Amino acid sequence: MSKIKKYDAIVIGGGHNGLTAAAYLGRAGKKVLVLERRHVLGGAAVTEEVFPGFKFSVCSYVVSLMKSNVMRELMLPKFGLELLPLESTLTPLENDYLIRTADSDQTYREIARHSKKDAENYMRFGPAMGQIGMAVRPILETIAPNPIRPSISDISATKKILDHVKSLTSKQFEYLTKLMTMSSADFLDEWFEYEPLKATMSASGIIGTFMGPRSPGSAYVMLHHYMGDIDGAFRAWGFQRGGTGAVSMAIARSAEHFGVDIMTEASVEKVIVKNGRAVGVALENGDEYNSNIVISGLDPKLTFLKMLDEPDLPSDFVSAIKNFRIRGSSGKVNLALDALPNFTCLPGDGHHLRGAISISPSYDHLEKAYDDAKYGNFSESPFMDIILPSVLDPDMAPPGKHVMSCFVQYAPYDLNGGWNDQKREAFGDAVINTIARYAPNIKDIILHRQVLTPADLESTFGLTEGNIFHGELTLQQLFSLRPAVKWADYTTPIKNYFQCGSGTHPGGGITGSPGEMAAKKILGTW
Amino acid sequence: MFYENKFTANTQLKLSPFFERTSKLNESQEWRRWAGYLAATSYELTHENEYFAIRTKAALLDISPLKKYIIEGPDSQILLDRLVTRNIAICKVGQVMYTPWCDEHGKVIDDGTVQRLSENKFRITSAEPNLEWIESNSTGMDVIIKDDSFSTAALALQGPNSRAILNSASPKSLDNLKFFWMMDTTFENIPVTISRTGYTGDLGYEIWMDPNDALSVWDILIDKGKTFGITPTGLHALDIARIEAGLILLDVDYISTRHALIESRKSSPYELGLGWAVKLKKRNFIGKAPLLEELDNGSGWSFVGIEIEWPGFEKHYRDAGLAPGLPSTAWRTSTPLYNNNEQVGYATSGTWSPLLKRYIALAHIKSKYAKEGSELMFELKVEHFRRLTKATVVKTPFFDPERKRSCPK
Amino acid sequence: MSNYDVIVIGAGINGLATASILSKAGKRTLVLESRDTVGGMASSMEFTPGYKCNVFNDTIKWIDPRIEKLLDLKSKGLELEQPEILRIALGENKEHIAFHKENSKTVDSIAKFSESDAKKWKDFSSYISKLSHFLEKLYGLTPPGLPNAGIKEILGMRSMFGPIRKHGTRGIVDLLRVAPMMMPELVDEWFETELLRTSVASSGIHHLSFGPFAAGTGYNLLHQHVHANGVFHNAQFVKGGTEKFAIALKDCAESYGAEIQTSKKVQSIDTDEHGCIGVTLENGEQIIAKQIVSGLDPNNTFINLVGPSNLTPDFKTQLNNIRYRGSTARIHFALKSLPKIDGISKDQMKTVFSISSSIEYLERASDAVKYGRLADNPYVEFVLPTLFNSDFAPSGEHVLSATVQYAPYHLRDTEWSDQLKDQLKTNVIDTLEKVIPSFRSIVKETSIISPLDMEREFGITEGNLNHGEMTLDQFMFMRPTISCSQYKTPINNLYLCGPGTHPGGGLHGTNGFNAAREILKG
Repeated sequence: MSKIKKYDAIVIGGGHNGLTAAAYLGRAGKKVLVLERRHVLGGAAVTEEVFPGFKFSVCSYVVSLMKSNVMRELMLPKFGLELLPLESTLTPLENDYLIRTADSDQTYREIARHSKKDAENYMRFGPAMGQIGMAVRPILETIAPNPIRPSISDISATKKILDHVKSLTSKQFEYLTKLMTMSSADFLDEWFEYEPLKATMSASGIIGTFMGPRSPGSAYVMLHHYMGDIDGAFRAWGFQRGGTGAVSMAIARSAEHFGVDIMTEASVEKVIVKNGRAVGVALENGDEYNSNIVISGLDPKLTFLKMLDEPDLPSDFVSAIKNFRIRGSSGKVNLALDALPNFTCLPGDGHHLRGAISISPSYDHLEKAYDDAKYGNFSESPFMDIILPSVLDPDMAPPGKHVMSCFVQYAPYDLNGGWNDQKREAFGDAVINTIARYAPNIKDIILHRQVLTPADLESTFGLTEGNIFHGELTLQQLFSLRPAVKWADYTTPIKNYFQCGSGTHPGGGITGSPGEMAAKKILGTW
Repeated sequence: MFYENKFTANTQLKLSPFFERTSKLNESQEWRRWAGYLAATSYELTHENEYFAIRTKAALLDISPLKKYIIEGPDSQILLDRLVTRNIAICKVGQVMYTPWCDEHGKVIDDGTVQRLSENKFRITSAEPNLEWIESNSTGMDVIIKDDSFSTAALALQGPNSRAILNSASPKSLDNLKFFWMMDTTFENIPVTISRTGYTGDLGYEIWMDPNDALSVWDILIDKGKTFGITPTGLHALDIARIEAGLILLDVDYISTRHALIESRKSSPYELGLGWAVKLKKRNFIGKAPLLEELDNGSGWSFVGIEIEWPGFEKHYRDAGLAPGLPSTAWRTSTPLYNNNEQVGYATSGTWSPLLKRYIALAHIKSKYAKEGSELMFELKVEHFRRLTKATVVKTPFFDPERKRSCPK
Repeated sequence: MSNYDVIVIGAGINGLATASILSKAGKRTLVLESRDTVGGMASSMEFTPGYKCNVFNDTIKWIDPRIEKLLDLKSKGLELEQPEILRIALGENKEHIAFHKENSKTVDSIAKFSESDAKKWKDFSSYISKLSHFLEKLYGLTPPGLPNAGIKEILGMRSMFGPIRKHGTRGIVDLLRVAPMMMPELVDEWFETELLRTSVASSGIHHLSFGPFAAGTGYNLLHQHVHANGVFHNAQFVKGGTEKFAIALKDCAESYGAEIQTSKKVQSIDTDEHGCIGVTLENGEQIIAKQIVSGLDPNNTFINLVGPSNLTPDFKTQLNNIRYRGSTARIHFALKSLPKIDGISKDQMKTVFSISSSIEYLERASDAVKYGRLADNPYVEFVLPTLFNSDFAPSGEHVLSATVQYAPYHLRDTEWSDQLKDQLKTNVIDTLEKVIPSFRSIVKETSIISPLDMEREFGITEGNLNHGEMTLDQFMFMRPTISCSQYKTPINNLYLCGPGTHPGGGLHGTNGFNAAREILKG
């Protein structure tokens, strides 16, 4: 039971954005309660000891996009944020490999082994993207204005953005337009020729998205992931010591430091609305908590269609939320290993195991994987982004043993015939068989395996359709349209009810950004 | 006193064809990265002897990390004339031209030498990889472009005795080889190409060969050079010599427009003191239109040599109770230059010239303040505190011996 | 050698429109056409003795009203006919939906499948019209030079305020929402009947190398409906064949004094240090003019005619990055008799037919492009032009012209050959036989035009009928490149007027009109 009857604010969902919002409100002196349905905090950013001695970042597995001001303002390093660099990206091929490392000479030489032109262009590509990232950042850091009935602050925000756009060079503007609209494959084709390089780079355009690298729109998702490489620290992709859950725990401790109360195993049933105002929440166990405002860190479908009753909402808003595209497309396979995987292309232990391993030998590989999913099947030969957390942080597994995290695409939420145990295992087998093509010893070293389908992600983590971004990052679901026009500034049609999840601007990833911006918006109008 | 060389560390860096020799000679085991290669900074524990080898004897430098491209075919001259700012049409077979090349906005991408190997065959050297740029500008032209970087090894033999060493190794005399010309010859039947070029501003040559012959050529030169004081020389000594010669270095004195993220980082040839190498009468070449315009309107910036005046310099140290603190090696940190408390420029590299006994530097200065004789204030740190000391714009090269260009009578 | 004010390269719709407007304004204009007839993509031809066809386009979606008004094409003999039935979508099991000029009849046709869909049809149709209305205004403009547009350019866009006043900013927001959508997303919001869904989706993939699952097909759908009064209200037939449109424009241009020379292939656009000075023909003849206007696509204009070494590296890179990727083929069949289409009566046949059972069907067809092969089950749209022009075939006989997606220009492990064209023909006939049983038996002759044929015979780079894909990254200020989206080019005195410019492809002449306006500005 909670200590006090009435809070200033209640946050539904102890995911990293909910915790971030709570911490910011606490920091501003508000009395805040966070309610988490599960027994652990973190939502999709969670570490669990799935098998005795083996710890997994069950869902989200790398940290790249965490905003540096959030880390500073919430003092996260003090509360346990420790990001270890992921040093390289290895693309194993049947008879060869491609590896990109933090060292530019080494990367140049390695790419030049396959294509000299690509090696030269690669050296220009990173900085060019950095410039674009810089150009996009002010837009991402603006609370999305309402274009329908703009207020003075909406107009001034719009003007600021237009002025910013005017300050871009023609080249930046050209790239930006292309990144907003093109497919990642088409965009990369303008720069590079070596297929494994292009395919691996294009893969960041499909992660968490129901698109293939040749689908227009995927270039934006690639840009979204590229944001992680800027803000001063290039190669800011990192692995949190203790797993991604430790990021959430750091935010939670920061929140508690600011006086926030956090309750787990407290599943919210409904937001209590009186006279068009949110006044508190009702839990599934019947408890009720009152508060001045309620903030939801859940995805838009749950935030509105589950937590509220449809009649309380304007009908055009309800249809906008129903039309909000979520589309789960990815699964996760977590393996407890007896030893390290041995890649045929680079046998034995080495630097290459300290980074990401991308199963993306060609566009075709990715496109065929996408085709399977497009027509309702999981990919027979999926794309994977693999890391070995225990190599970076030995505490993740018992001595000498290892854990392996495989992010897998595609696994459509709407599988033909639906997901069941048998199909989950078949999906797991497809993953293992694909890895075995590059690391044949994998089958002999698996001690345990955990397979999570989009259906599992939904039922376990409350991610609608198992979509890791709380909604597709498509052009028509960004900025002032995320999650719906008029309500992209973290407010909702219900007074005193706010949203702060990844389904709001600027979208998914462990960024802390929606939580931070929502809190700032709320505090600005309090 | 020598310790037996027991270094066997593995490296991820590239090794030059001469590494077998240079690694054994490197008593300091000090290396620097040069274009992804491991390159010796100095072979001895200090670089002074190597510097004086350049100026008084003969210095042998491994310059294999240079990027080299072969451009061959009926349109090879047309392509090069489109790429670079100098007039390649008048470059004769056996001649070499130093030239910068620009993007379409007239900003410098890189600089290097163009060697005319035959009527329709050229070799171009550069500091950075340029294959993509050359190829992308060759659309529709009848040329073959080949990356020659790994298929040709190169040594520089620089210093007053360099000609004598080569004459003793080569059956053909080098006496008539003029500045910026080249010739084919052999050392003990090993074919080599020798160009009278270099990065030291002294009499000197660069020797181009098959990497398989690299070690033999090295051994022959060391052997023949013994009596002439041949000295394996590293990058520290070279850096001093090239500043004395007023020669610019990519990524130190300027940034390639291909990598410069913002306009202010880019420089035109005029702004780098390379106006003499821009031939605007030539038919269209990349960057011509903006360069014409710049010539008409004047350049905002100039690239000049400056000398930090001794009395003021010495006084700052004296005031601190110290003898003047001269830099022991050439420096590469950008250093502000002022006129009446307003920053009007910055020096990009500088050195104490052991030969000239002058403290010299290369600097970007707003054109208004760049006239020869202009007085500026140079920022100096003396015992952790900033001081300003007088510096004067002077003519470059700081050091320009007659032997650099002359042939024996 | 005589001097002209302007030389227009290419006597397609846009080239002729530009020439007409410029000569009307008093410019001495010469039009050079490499083929022996005018028309370009509006050509008609006798593909086999006694049988005529419209080579690429059987219908015209819209003609820029400004051109119709300024040039009074009706007086030059242009006659358009909009049939009662605009389109019939053929599905599986002899099912079909007929889209009529009269909305209520369309609603009745849809109601046979779903009451709910039928109810929504009018709203959907006017929703799409509303959004297209914004595009209409945008299409009449010269794109601003972004990102740093001047005040003048911004003021030049004030015609956009009309639709904003009418529909509110909501309209713009809806446009921004729908344009980047993929077809299933759009139709999910409206309809449940798969046949209706796929027929709407087929409009979004028209002449694209992408399938309906591609973001941005929303924009292509809207593009197909500019100046249309509702969904599918965009089928207009030209009396006497599509070429009559070109001929009317030609007559018009000549009446204002323009000179039109056919069989004159331009070999190069000649430049000196200051810009463009004239052209050299294949026969060696040099013609000087103050201004050159190219109706060809950007690749032909710049890379082939101006020459890469006369282009700045950045501009050349931009040109090389334009995506063409033609993926549409045309097949013309000479038929012994009128084909019998399942479930369709004879009086319903004066229309455009589409064959697609589902969105997935379209998407699977489009997968072929990714892997560089022919679609086994292609998306086929067809028309019987003989029903509009009886002189297209001997009496009692007919022509069936089909537009086929996807037959990509870029193939893998094979190339375009007679054999491959036969394969394409078989695939198309198989598809047609699903709705026209024993179609094979009435075919007399076939003429196949692959994207490669389009490139070789009509000079259309990669066989893209839009002179560059109609995608959002090649839209407006990005079309054809960010540095020449205002019909002017980086080369002085050289202008573009073809579909490679804003607002893109189609036989509407808007590009030509806008280009002429820019040229006359000087």
